[in-house]
Amino acid sequence: MTSPSIETSAAIDTSPSITDTRGRPATRAGWFRLAAERIAVVAAAIAVWELAARTVIDPFWISSPSLVGVRLWQLAVSGDLLWHAQATVWQALLGSALGLVCGVAIGALLARYSRVAAAVDPILMGLYSLPRIALAPLFIIWFGIGLLSKVMMVFSFVVFIFLLNTMQGLRAVDPDLVDLMRSMRATPAFIARRVQLPSILPWLVTAARISVGLALIGSVLGELLGANRGLGWYVEHASGRLDTTGVFAGLVALMVIAVALNTLVDLAERWLVPARP
Amino acid sequence: MDQSVRSDETGAATGSAAGRRGPAARPRVVLEGVGKEFPSSGGHGLTVLDDIDLVIEDREFLSIVGPSGCGKSTLLRLISGLMPPSRGRVLVDGAVVTGPPPDVGFMFQRDTLMPWATVAQNIGLGLELNGTPKGAHEARIAELLDLLGLAKFRDFLPAALSGGMRQRVALGRLLAYAPALYLMDEPFGALDAMTKMAMGRELLRIWSRYDKSVVFVTHDIEEAVGLSDRVVVMAAHPGRIVSEYVIDLPRPRDFRAVRLLPEFRALCETIWRDIGVE
Repeated sequence: MTSPSIETSAAIDTSPSITDTRGRPATRAGWFRLAAERIAVVAAAIAVWELAARTVIDPFWISSPSLVGVRLWQLAVSGDLLWHAQATVWQALLGSALGLVCGVAIGALLARYSRVAAAVDPILMGLYSLPRIALAPLFIIWFGIGLLSKVMMVFSFVVFIFLLNTMQGLRAVDPDLVDLMRSMRATPAFIARRVQLPSILPWLVTAARISVGLALIGSVLGELLGANRGLGWYVEHASGRLDTTGVFAGLVALMVIAVALNTLVDLAERWLVPARP
Repeated sequence: MDQSVRSDETGAATGSAAGRRGPAARPRVVLEGVGKEFPSSGGHGLTVLDDIDLVIEDREFLSIVGPSGCGKSTLLRLISGLMPPSRGRVLVDGAVVTGPPPDVGFMFQRDTLMPWATVAQNIGLGLELNGTPKGAHEARIAELLDLLGLAKFRDFLPAALSGGMRQRVALGRLLAYAPALYLMDEPFGALDAMTKMAMGRELLRIWSRYDKSVVFVTHDIEEAVGLSDRVVVMAAHPGRIVSEYVIDLPRPRDFRAVRLLPEFRALCETIWRDIGVE
């Protein structure tokens, strides 16, 4: 689908707005300014941390940006960083993919059969609200301490997000638009592809955005409970040796991964959901 | 896609305009003792339509007027096969309606455009669904955009258009689908008076050019009389037909100038009286 959004909005809305409807900068200059501001905030946080570690708080407790930087560099050079990050990201992606497929499928079925949806609602909400960490011991019994238990832990977080968003998204589809298509003898498959799928895309992007954080939680949680690899395992291992620099190095790596994954979702959104009112 | 349906229509001269103009042309739509009830909280169903008999001829422009709640929109949905009648039967082109029949197009009061698709893509939907070969889409879309004065907006999204323009896109989609019967449910109901006048004029121009049957639901009596060959007046609770007027004002008509004729005024007055507003 070609996106005429740029010409359109330029033709219609000529007001000198700094950001577009999604809060992104509308001009190149605005974009540079925002980037500079973001870098400044990160730099300030690092400076405060470094200063605190050098003056008031012993680095034993909070390490310091320079120590963490050196450690990350060493881990990167030795290949350990990639080794651990790969495991964590891979588990998160596999679990998310499984959660997306199952969540969308079940959500679509429940949207279609509203009586079933009403009947299973309490159990669904119960499972959704269950603290997933309480499931961890069970998952280890069921799926062992290998890849599968981590993937399933991620899945248990992510599947509900896609399920609920798909269900809500499909219920919000304009019924008149569906009737119009039906009156022109469109097949259910055609309506699914041309009305329902585009209608729920923004809902799925939202679900993906929520899932990024949850998938990392699931992946790290799985590693904390039993693993020999992964950033969660590395953090756990470092804290066992009172190595706060190691702990912070793991946490920083996780943060960077989370930001990167969020950026991917942003790009996917721009590609999948062209400008909307 | 609808060759089979067209071919049983006249026997010879399959699908051609000449064939449909023949004196033996059968009515486009027949409603026989049609009733519709919706379930209501009181246990008894709410009767929305009661015992409707109505015949819509080929190439006829028929309007249905009546107060809100008289079931005029429901009537269109029954003809379009979007919902089944509770009693009686509906025939379109001689076949009992059990689902959306071929060759019937619908236009709602709301434009019901795909918000994520451009003007051209929204109009193109009609071509996709009537089986027009892909190669012919581009030319037909351009033709319709010209006809409706939308050429400059072909790549706009609906959100960037005014209500009147969006409704013109919806009309373009209907014309692209090219059904033999147009079902129009207050298509100009949400538009301002000036846009409404322009759209009415456009519809008359297009109808006289394409030669199709139209069932036009409205609560605007002047609009109904100005457009139609025949006006059916309905009343509510339960929805029923109370009277019917043949509008023999001259054609081609100017949608605005026709309002100055004394016959026009007299017809409108009579219909107002039927509805119970003096």
